[in-house]
Amino acid sequence: MTRDDQTTPMLISRRRVLAGGALAGVAAFLAACGGTKPLVTPAPTAVPPTSGPTSGPSASAAATATAAPAATPSAEVNWANWTYYIDVDDADPNKHPTLDKFTAKYGTKVNYSEVVNDNEEFFGTVQPALQGGADTGWDVITMTDWMAAKLIRLGWVEQLTLANRPNFTANLGDTYKGVNWDPTGDHHAPWQSGMTGLGFDPAKTGELDSLEAFFTADPRWTGKVDLLSEMRDAIGLTMLKLGLDPANPTRDACDKAVAELKKARDAKIVRAFKGNAYAEDLKAGNVVLAMAWSGDMVQVLTDKPGMKFVVAKEGGMLWTDNNLIPKGAAHKGTAELLIDFYYQPEIAAEVEAYVNYICPVKGAADVLMATNPDVANNPLIFPPADILAKLHIFGGLSEADETYFNQQFATVTGKG
Amino acid sequence: MGTLLKRHRWIAPVALLAPGVLWLLVFYLYPALQMFQSSFWSGTLETGFTFSWDNYTNYTKALTSYAPMYARSIMYAGAATVLTFLIAYPLAYTIAFRGGRFKNLLLFLVVAPFFTSFLLRTISWTILLSDDSPILRVIHMFPGVPPEFRLLATPIAVISGITYAFLPFMTLPVYVAVEKIDFRLVEAARDLYAGPWRPGGAIVGFIVGGGLATVLGVAFEWDFLITGLVGGVTGAAIGWFFISESFVRVTFPLSVPGVFAGSLLTFIPAIGDYVNAELLGNPDTTMIGNVIQNKFLTQNDYPAASALSFMLMAGVLVVVAVYARILGTEELSASAGRM
Amino acid sequence: MAAATTHPTPGEARSAGTRPRGGARGVLGRMADKYLLIVYSALAVIYLLLPVFVIILFSFNNPPGRSNFLWSGFTLKYWLNPLGVAGLGDAVLLSLEIALISTIISTILGTLVAIALERYRFRGRAGVNALVFLPMATPEIIMGASLLTLFVAIGAAPFFPLNFATILIAHVMFNISYVVVTVRARLAGFPRHLEEAAADLYANEWETFRRVTFPLILPGVVAGALLAFSLSIDDFVITNFSAGKTQTFPMFIYAKAKIGIPVQVNVIGTSIFLIAVGAVLVTTLASRRSNKR
Repeated sequence: MTRDDQTTPMLISRRRVLAGGALAGVAAFLAACGGTKPLVTPAPTAVPPTSGPTSGPSASAAATATAAPAATPSAEVNWANWTYYIDVDDADPNKHPTLDKFTAKYGTKVNYSEVVNDNEEFFGTVQPALQGGADTGWDVITMTDWMAAKLIRLGWVEQLTLANRPNFTANLGDTYKGVNWDPTGDHHAPWQSGMTGLGFDPAKTGELDSLEAFFTADPRWTGKVDLLSEMRDAIGLTMLKLGLDPANPTRDACDKAVAELKKARDAKIVRAFKGNAYAEDLKAGNVVLAMAWSGDMVQVLTDKPGMKFVVAKEGGMLWTDNNLIPKGAAHKGTAELLIDFYYQPEIAAEVEAYVNYICPVKGAADVLMATNPDVANNPLIFPPADILAKLHIFGGLSEADETYFNQQFATVTGKG
Repeated sequence: MGTLLKRHRWIAPVALLAPGVLWLLVFYLYPALQMFQSSFWSGTLETGFTFSWDNYTNYTKALTSYAPMYARSIMYAGAATVLTFLIAYPLAYTIAFRGGRFKNLLLFLVVAPFFTSFLLRTISWTILLSDDSPILRVIHMFPGVPPEFRLLATPIAVISGITYAFLPFMTLPVYVAVEKIDFRLVEAARDLYAGPWRPGGAIVGFIVGGGLATVLGVAFEWDFLITGLVGGVTGAAIGWFFISESFVRVTFPLSVPGVFAGSLLTFIPAIGDYVNAELLGNPDTTMIGNVIQNKFLTQNDYPAASALSFMLMAGVLVVVAVYARILGTEELSASAGRM
Repeated sequence: MAAATTHPTPGEARSAGTRPRGGARGVLGRMADKYLLIVYSALAVIYLLLPVFVIILFSFNNPPGRSNFLWSGFTLKYWLNPLGVAGLGDAVLLSLEIALISTIISTILGTLVAIALERYRFRGRAGVNALVFLPMATPEIIMGASLLTLFVAIGAAPFFPLNFATILIAHVMFNISYVVVTVRARLAGFPRHLEEAAADLYANEWETFRRVTFPLILPGVVAGALLAFSLSIDDFVITNFSAGKTQTFPMFIYAKAKIGIPVQVNVIGTSIFLIAVGAVLVTTLASRRSNKR
């Protein structure tokens, strides 16, 4: 992706972009990790809305065929998700075709709300209900893995009933299995993944491929660097720079990373710590280098060709957003059916055609290979195996360690 | 009814207060008291929280660890309050006395921008003030401006952001107070005092200009003595030439209730603001609101967040009390009534 | 800076011939008198409206992707399809409803409290004063979270599950203080003797209020209502805690801001601004015409 991304925006067809769509999920990722073969399956439109999932010649076919609902679907189900995180009908922005298919199949109305704009903020709004043992009003919530870990640790997440998740069992990508914060593997269902690396303007900074750039006072970018305000990304990348392993986040490693970040801050290299807002800084030229998320960068490249996203040679971070059922959800069974519904490759592919992140569903890539070869060949959307090998997942933290990490990081961002 | 009210003087105020005060008691004070209780908690989300008065250390810790952020909040909010005053007072005055038939329209133009989204407004400012924007290019044409000079992600941006966000909170109360001034009083005063308020105007101008420039100097790590002096001299010159004695003796005292209300409406929310520092600042411009936000949402340290908030609120109440004592709204209204 | 002078007057026309002795002030003073204040105020208005111009300009932008941050060409297509984003129309409508209703309720409650505080002396007055100032001083997040805890603790309709009513309760709560302080600024220093004279005439507190006090404080009430409306229509933090599944306009914008705020949001923002200003302009002109007659 470091060499070929100047072509990226060109590959995005005008119509797709105007429809608000950037791009699709990642076949190479799954091919590399999950071992699925690029076999052709019918286009998404071939999924009959009223019958069961389409059988395809992929490895997942056997499992998808067994999808007889063990739960009686309820009249409605409530899903809290992030914005731009599901497919939208080109003609009618109020329609989400895959949700309509779910409704057609089960008769359940999905109240889909794009109300999550921040893990912590959303946690704040559901915490009192969960603590009091009350229904939060949500049946499915989509949370980043560390927040999912926290909710599971607090015992505030329902277990997914085995009978209601045949597609999930069969089609979850292998990389996603065996996380240490969900030992039984049945409290969370990955929805989308993304990478964290360097976003920069090569015209100003020259070619970059090392995390050293964030910590080196160079007149070309000093004072024009944004770091991520997301603790795990900022600390994680710093650990990689120091040769430490983010999968094993010890307090000692945290201290070292924090000291390194403070040095960069005191040397006035860093302009600010930001969430997604770094993308605007990059586009406006306020910064020429930033810690960046792959999904955002697809957008930045569309708006301002010539920018670059690179996973550093020292490595990058991989994070995942997951679907969870909060404790006491009124429509738990239906929520399980909904989560499982999106583990059908054809449905997942349809979502990926709109969302520009990495898909955790085996076989979805095969569908996309057939329907969107231009997208499939995009190196930014389909990171090659050598890039994927460089990605790290931040290890789970105990509550005490998490508090420690957050406190230490707050002293860097000036909030503690 | 009249006689009933006259016999039972307490009925009228109680009836007037009841709905509003009840609303605040149930939906503000009761939840706030529960938060107060949680400021004496210890523990974590996972282990559960326990209450003990011994946890007053939450407060001492808050004060010792976050004093710089409190100080910065006071400084920024104070500077923003003075700036809103300097912008809003002449504006309100002009609208009230020169607006003629278009008074209402002009006043509305001042408030209407605040009907659009804060986020859109802030994004507009970031577009206008970005490092490569025309405004910045013009600034960089001036000799002596260092090449790394910028506005976004600086204290200037944070203070300007707060100033802009709370401008109507100063403009409206000042306007409603100025607008009621009987102009015959001013004309009479003008005949009596005529000329400018030379020494007094210069002194006030020096204090205001100097104080503001010093705050900006400290915040921006310039030489604050020099900036303060420059600001003071500028202010003194403006005060010397433009503040007249009739204004100081008549118009301003009559408008003080509005200025008083406007300052409170600006300063109090500004001191707890965190959004401007978040969107327009850098790691060295964080205010106490940012710390509270982080403690509450990121660290789930509810006791510390509550303790920090209650210290902030207590401080604000002290400021309000002192301010009210010094300016004494009651006495002012009495003296205005005499005139 | 503060070019606050008393010299510019509304009665400039009528007192033009009989200007007070101004010799001491010299040319500079007279120039300031005539132009400085107007120029300064015009600059202040431009400063206030500058971001609005940008918002309006970018409502005609034609961005290649989702983000409306860089100017990339003129188009009318978003004006022709202002609600072409899922959920936008509902969110705007909800915010307008909440803002209107909460403004009305909080303006009434706040005005009554302001009158009581300014016109009567009673025990506990200091306490009420503190109660009015405290909500303004409470960090939004603490206020929002503690109110949410209360709603959850009640755990029954209409407080839980969260809905329209809970947003309304929260908005009235944080609006009251601003109305009280603004109305008091108008009431303070008002000549009591007018009311006393009226009381002698009408001998009834309600009549006195209706015919004398209320017309006198009306500008303050309107100003308080304007503040309340602008606070309510743009509140995010407290609303986020009390909204549940409903989504207001600011919540919609914050959610979208992660990736890119749709151009339609600028169209809506511009429309609200233009409609509000237009309505006042029409009223002004109408009243002007009727005055002439």
